[in-house]
Amino acid sequence: MSKVDKKWRKKAEEELRGESIDSLNWDTLEGIQVKPLYTSQDLLELEHLDNLPGFLPFLRGPKATMYSKRPWTIRQYSGFSTAEESNKFYRDNLAAGQTGLSVAFDLATHRGYDSDHPRVPGDVGKAGVAIDSIEDMKILFDQIPLDQMSVSMTMNGAVIPIMAMFIVAAEEQGVDKNDLKGTLQNDILKEFMVRNTYIYPPDHSMRIVADIIAYCSNHLPQFNSVSISGYHMLEAGATCTQELAYTIADGLEYVRAAKNQGLDVDSFAPRLSFFFGIGMNFFMEIAKLRAARFLWSELIEQEFKPKDPRSQMLRTHCQTSGVSLTSQDPYNNIIRTTIEAMAAVLGGTQSLHTNSFDEALALPTPFSAEIARSTQLVLREESGLTKVVDPLAGSYYIESLTGSIINEARKLIAEVEELGGMTKAVQAGVPKLRIEESAAIRQARIEKKEEIVVGVNDYFSSKEQDVDIRSIDNEDVRNQQITKLESIKKSRDETVCQKTLENIESVAKNGGNLLEAAIEAAKARATVGEISEAMENVFGRHQAVSQSISGVYRKEYEGEDEFMDVEKQIEQFLKTNGRRPRILVAKLGQDGHDRGAKVIATAFADLGFDVDIGPLFQTPEEAAKQAIENDVHILGVSTQAAAHKTLVPMLIDSLKEENADNILVVCGGIIPDNDIPELESMGVGAVFGPGTNISKAALKVLDLIQ
Amino acid sequence: MNTLDIEELCKLIFSGDRKAIATAITLVESTKHEDQDSTNRLLTLLESQQTQSIRIGISGPPGVGKSTFIEAIGHSVLESDERLAILAIDPSSSISGGSILGDKTRMESLSRNENTFIRPSPSGGNLGGVHRSTRESVSILEAAGYSVILIETVGVGQAETEVFEMTDIFLVLLSPGGGDELQGIKRGIIELADILVVNKADGNLEATSRSTVLDYKNALKLLKPRIQGWNVPVLPCSALEKNGIDQIWNEVINLKDHLVKTGQLEKSRLEQSKIWLKNKKKNLILSAIEDDEELLDKLGETIKE
Repeated sequence: MSKVDKKWRKKAEEELRGESIDSLNWDTLEGIQVKPLYTSQDLLELEHLDNLPGFLPFLRGPKATMYSKRPWTIRQYSGFSTAEESNKFYRDNLAAGQTGLSVAFDLATHRGYDSDHPRVPGDVGKAGVAIDSIEDMKILFDQIPLDQMSVSMTMNGAVIPIMAMFIVAAEEQGVDKNDLKGTLQNDILKEFMVRNTYIYPPDHSMRIVADIIAYCSNHLPQFNSVSISGYHMLEAGATCTQELAYTIADGLEYVRAAKNQGLDVDSFAPRLSFFFGIGMNFFMEIAKLRAARFLWSELIEQEFKPKDPRSQMLRTHCQTSGVSLTSQDPYNNIIRTTIEAMAAVLGGTQSLHTNSFDEALALPTPFSAEIARSTQLVLREESGLTKVVDPLAGSYYIESLTGSIINEARKLIAEVEELGGMTKAVQAGVPKLRIEESAAIRQARIEKKEEIVVGVNDYFSSKEQDVDIRSIDNEDVRNQQITKLESIKKSRDETVCQKTLENIESVAKNGGNLLEAAIEAAKARATVGEISEAMENVFGRHQAVSQSISGVYRKEYEGEDEFMDVEKQIEQFLKTNGRRPRILVAKLGQDGHDRGAKVIATAFADLGFDVDIGPLFQTPEEAAKQAIENDVHILGVSTQAAAHKTLVPMLIDSLKEENADNILVVCGGIIPDNDIPELESMGVGAVFGPGTNISKAALKVLDLIQ
Repeated sequence: MNTLDIEELCKLIFSGDRKAIATAITLVESTKHEDQDSTNRLLTLLESQQTQSIRIGISGPPGVGKSTFIEAIGHSVLESDERLAILAIDPSSSISGGSILGDKTRMESLSRNENTFIRPSPSGGNLGGVHRSTRESVSILEAAGYSVILIETVGVGQAETEVFEMTDIFLVLLSPGGGDELQGIKRGIIELADILVVNKADGNLEATSRSTVLDYKNALKLLKPRIQGWNVPVLPCSALEKNGIDQIWNEVINLKDHLVKTGQLEKSRLEQSKIWLKNKKKNLILSAIEDDEELLDKLGETIKE
């Protein structure tokens, strides 16, 4: 221990009056212990200190001048239901000087279903634009010069038909493939861990990714063919180190897949980009982005020995965290988003999306979206943040934290590699379980108030706030899409179209480039659903094996008053009813965000409920059938994507039809306050928003079923 | 439940009403003393209309892919115009008492089918690989017209004998490799198997599974077949890729025909009924004395004497 340290410890102990200094340590969810003081001593062992921005390993930033020359790109992602609406939105923004656009697709499109498919009535036009064919794609980009505009597309499942239609839409606009710029998310591995918008099993999905990388590297030299995304992991409850490690491990797997196609690493690696989420742990997030650049550079060099340094350069987009937003006191979310945006900027992101404050309640309104955009403008123009490159470098704490994150992430990456790489690891379900475990621990910490969330578990607001929110009528969108589908199927040359689809099947079976084959099908007016099905005929549709953890919630929470209260009531229930209270936790529609459902399931089982978990992507009729067969007391519907308005009424009707309206229906997830009375009048027993205390929710449902 | 309700319930079950079947299973699973009488009355009433069914027990170590296998073979069952019921048992936590019942997530397409009824039950701490009242649930499903009953058990590898005691055919699933299984704990359930299936004959494991099939065939030569005139077949399959599933279903049909023709089905069911009655009595006594300290003390003393 240095002299300085000793001196400080003495003084600190005096101030603590007998309490140990260690009591000030903070054990973060990442498993990193943060001390109350960092000094120059903490820099002694670090390996990453001496480097410059713009040079390998790029820890301090990919560019030498960073924001001092050009600030980050403000890239707001938004979803409108129809191609017409989205097109208008893009053109308005472009007229206002924006240089890039970002497309969100609806859930049916993500999962490779046309809008008229019987499994998707509640999903068409939700959370994004419905695209069924090249005609929709042409409307989407009508009068938008695709040779000048950078287009970012969040698509992972139905990447083949969507990318094919994008290319054909450009071609029919007279734009050469060579001139197309933008980014395709095309990150399927994380879909198997979180979010679940996959279509095919992992192996076949990896082949699709590789086919796209190969095609782009030959024909679309300016296009980012994969955006390796950690964002959705963070949203699902991953810690910063998990998000970082699994994202990097995903990236390595994509590079391997592309190399297996015979590509030279330098021909495509510079076109891989990243996408991270930024949560509320301010310094940790800054350190995470720095550590990410270091690790990527290190691991790419080790395994692939590229010649071009750009192959080792990690460029990233960031988005502020959606789960950090609360439905209680929603205006506080503006402050949260600002803090997160600052962390992203201090961490050196290349582009940024800031969330709107009402996103814990519903999709953003134009008003809330504008505040979100202005947040970035204020940071950029008024705070001086852009003047200095990597301004926190050399901070004892930031550098030490960067080092700790590098080390922790290395361990997690090594675990994945031991399983044989990420494709194998996701098949084994290991990362998914790790993330779910972190989510459950975090939930318990919040409920125990070890972690304070203002307005959620402390500092409650005294008055209700009325927030204007946006609602979508998806029935209308669906009908429009169905009409368009009918007309395209009538007017196309059916023989030619079927031939192209048969060719896709044959390429899927015997090899060849799937994107190339799909481009021909898109030209022949085959639909997203048809192209997806042609591949499904060969690959099959992936069925998730649901694994669940248990005991985590109990471990964190046992002994607390409310927990014991629930336990006692359940014992009583068991005596009176001859069995434990039984709940089915169901997800309806094509929305695959199952973090909420998983946390509820494991916590309720730990509390002593018998918990049935429904498969992902259930229809309301299927959920009703399962609830009836299992004779549950409670059917809990978890919804994140506004499906409650269409699907919950269908569910309640199905239960009534079978005389099973004795089953209590409750809803959880993102449900606007304004919709609650309507749901209640339909017969929904209770609605639980984000940030609900689980034990309290359990007490409430126990009360309702007795 | 009063007598009238029970009669009504019984009628609904005969008509195949999904909700009534579910309610009845809950009733027979109930741990409440008062529900015992209702259960007995219901079971007596149900006896008047029982479907000729096959009862198949499916067992195997954890991770062998039982649910995926059932999802696959279920479709073969439905294609032969049978009505299929599946009773699946998931372990309850010994700490919280609660449980997570995730089976339908693995039998996704079966669970949608109109001719299928799937009911997972928490084991409730029962060690025999089945729920205390699985046998009663079977009666309800047969009364409702289900002609193939699959019972999937907690894959503990031991103590599977209870399932064995309530099924006509016992199918054991094993993974490729696992040579030591022959010596180790799995030997017990292999001895009970009427049909042995080596699952996961796909991908890297295809070759291994072929040699595993041979290993088991050899091992079985040393065992006396449990059913007279029946040589236990060892079959590879891939539940994931749906390969080899129809062959397994054909063997099930063959075995059933064999059991019927030789009169062994009737005989073993009679035997099973006796065991069931005996167990029922035993359980009744056990649950009666469970909460009665005084009685326990008295009994203890009597035994000492």
